[in-house]
Amino acid sequence: MRKQFAKTLLETGADERVAVLLGDLGHFLLRDFEARYPSRFFNMGIAEQSMMSMAAGLALGGFFPVVHSITPFITERCFEQIKDDLCYQNTGVNIVSVGSAFDYAALGCTHHSYDDIGILRTLPRMQIVYPAAPHEFDILFKEAYANGAPTYFRLPEHIHSLSTHPKFGEVEQMREGNVVTVIAAGPQLQNAWEAAEEAARAGVLCDLWYVTTIKPLSAASEKAIAASVAKTGKVVTVEEHSVIGGIGDLIALICGGERFTHVRLGVNDKFLECYGTYEEHCKANGLTKENILKAIHDSAGRNR
Amino acid sequence: MEKGDRGSALKKIRVEVLNMVRAAGEGHVPSAFSVIEILYALYSRMGERDRFFLSKGHASTALYATLAHFGALNERELQTYGKYNSALGGHPHRNEKKGIMNSSGSLGHGFPVAAGYALSLRLKRGGGRVFCLVGDGECNEGTIWETALLASHLKLRELVCVVDNNGSQTRAVPSGDLAEKFRSFGWNAVEVKNGHRVNDLENAIFAERGDDERPYCVVAHTKKGKGVREMEENHFAWHHRAPTPEEYERFVKEIMGSPEEA
Repeated sequence: MRKQFAKTLLETGADERVAVLLGDLGHFLLRDFEARYPSRFFNMGIAEQSMMSMAAGLALGGFFPVVHSITPFITERCFEQIKDDLCYQNTGVNIVSVGSAFDYAALGCTHHSYDDIGILRTLPRMQIVYPAAPHEFDILFKEAYANGAPTYFRLPEHIHSLSTHPKFGEVEQMREGNVVTVIAAGPQLQNAWEAAEEAARAGVLCDLWYVTTIKPLSAASEKAIAASVAKTGKVVTVEEHSVIGGIGDLIALICGGERFTHVRLGVNDKFLECYGTYEEHCKANGLTKENILKAIHDSAGRNR
Repeated sequence: MEKGDRGSALKKIRVEVLNMVRAAGEGHVPSAFSVIEILYALYSRMGERDRFFLSKGHASTALYATLAHFGALNERELQTYGKYNSALGGHPHRNEKKGIMNSSGSLGHGFPVAAGYALSLRLKRGGGRVFCLVGDGECNEGTIWETALLASHLKLRELVCVVDNNGSQTRAVPSGDLAEKFRSFGWNAVEVKNGHRVNDLENAIFAERGDDERPYCVVAHTKKGKGVREMEENHFAWHHRAPTPEEYERFVKEIMGSPEEA
C-alpha cells in the first residue's frame, strides 16, 4: 500500500496544485516526489495540528494538499483542526494515513486508532475512503483528491488479494445470496470472502458487499445495501475498527426502520492493551475467517 | 485618540461595534476595541494582492465595522449582525467576496491557516503578503508556537503577524515578552508601544524589511476596551457583554466626545 501511495502521489504530482506535507514520517517513502517536485514537498516536523491548519491555508490558496502521517496523529490529535479548518471552511485537503486500527499492534494503544472513521464520520463534508489493495488506492485517490472537499484516506498495512473494481462513493457487490448480508471493509474483505465461500458450500448463500467509500455513499449504493438487508434480514459487519462509529453504525443508519439481526465484528469498545502482532489482535477480536463463518451460521439460524 | 478625519472614522467604527452588539445582545466589545486602530492601519495600507486573516475571531465586530468603513460591507449588512441567516456573526464565517478570508473563533487556528496561505502565495509566485492578527491570550495556544517555528523554518517572509497585546492574560497565564519570544523562534519582531496610534502601527507593520527572509511580527501594546473607560478598567466583566440602553448612550457619548489626542 505504501509503495502504491508513493507511486500514485508521484503521478498526481504532475498536477501543480498538489503539495505534500509530512509529519516527519514517510520522508524516505516519498523521496521520489521530493526529488521531482521539491518546491511542493514539505516536511513539517512534529506539529500535526499546525500542519493540518496550514494545509487548509494552502487549499484556500488554490492547492490540493496531501497531509501524511500515522493515523492517530493526523486524525484524533487534530480533530478540531479538521473540523474547523477543513470541514467547516470546506477546504480540499487530503489526509492520507498509515497505521490505522492495530497495524502497529506492538507499539501499544497510543499508536492504535480504531476510532478514526467514527469521529471523522460525524463531521459534515468529510469524505472517508478506505482502500485495502494498491489498485484501489490508485483509483480512489485519483478520483477524489481534487474534488474540493476534505478527504481522509485510511491506508491499512495489510491488503486483500481479491479482484475489486472500486468507484468513489459506491459499494461493490462481491457475492450474491439471500440468507445473510455480509458487509466488509478493509483487508477483512479477504476473511469475509473466504467465510462466505465456505458458507456457500454448506448451502448458506451470502450477499457480500465491500465498502471502500465510507462517506459519502451514493443514493444508489445506500439503496442497494438497504435492499439487501430487506431481503435477508440478517447482517454481519466486519471491520478493523471499533464497533462504535464504523461501518456497523453506517449500515444501521442506512437501514434504519428495517428489522434485521446484526452481528458487529470489530473492536468491542476497548483499548487493545496486549501488544503482540496484528494477527494476534485479529484473532482476539474475532476478525478471522472462522469467526466470521460462525457469525454467518449463527445469523442464518436466527429469526429477524 | 486620533485627530481629524481619521479620528472621526475610528470613533464611528467603535460606535458601529456598539450598535451591532447592542442590537444582537452579544459580542466581545473590549476585544474589538483593542484592535480598531490595528485594523484601520492594515486596511489603509494593504495592497491588492495582500490578504488579512483574523485569528482572534471574537473581535469579529471590529473587522465588520472596519470592512464597512473601507467599503467591503454596507450598513444594511452590519445591521444583520448575529441574526439568523446573517453572514456576520459573533465569530467570522469565511466569505472571501466580502473580504473575510477565514472562519475563526477557536483560538490558534487562524494563524496556521494564514501561514499556509502565505505558503500558497510563495508557490504561486504572484506576490502578495499575508497579515494575521492574533491576541496575547491566543498566544497560550500551542499551535501559535508550532506555527512560529514552522514559519521561520520555511522562511515565510510573506507572513506578518500582528499581536494585539491587550493584557487579556493578566489574570491567567501572562504571555511575557512576546516580541522576544517570537525573536527566539527565528522571527524579526518589533513592538509598538501605543497600539492605538495608527501612524506608529503603519510604520511598524509596513516597515521596509529589505531582503530579510524572516517572518515578521509586530507586537502592539493595546488596551482592552479602549475608548470606554468603564470597559478599560473592568474588561474582564465586559469581555462578553452587551450594553444596556443607558450604558449604550453613555458609551457613545464618551467615544464621540473623547479628546483627540492619546
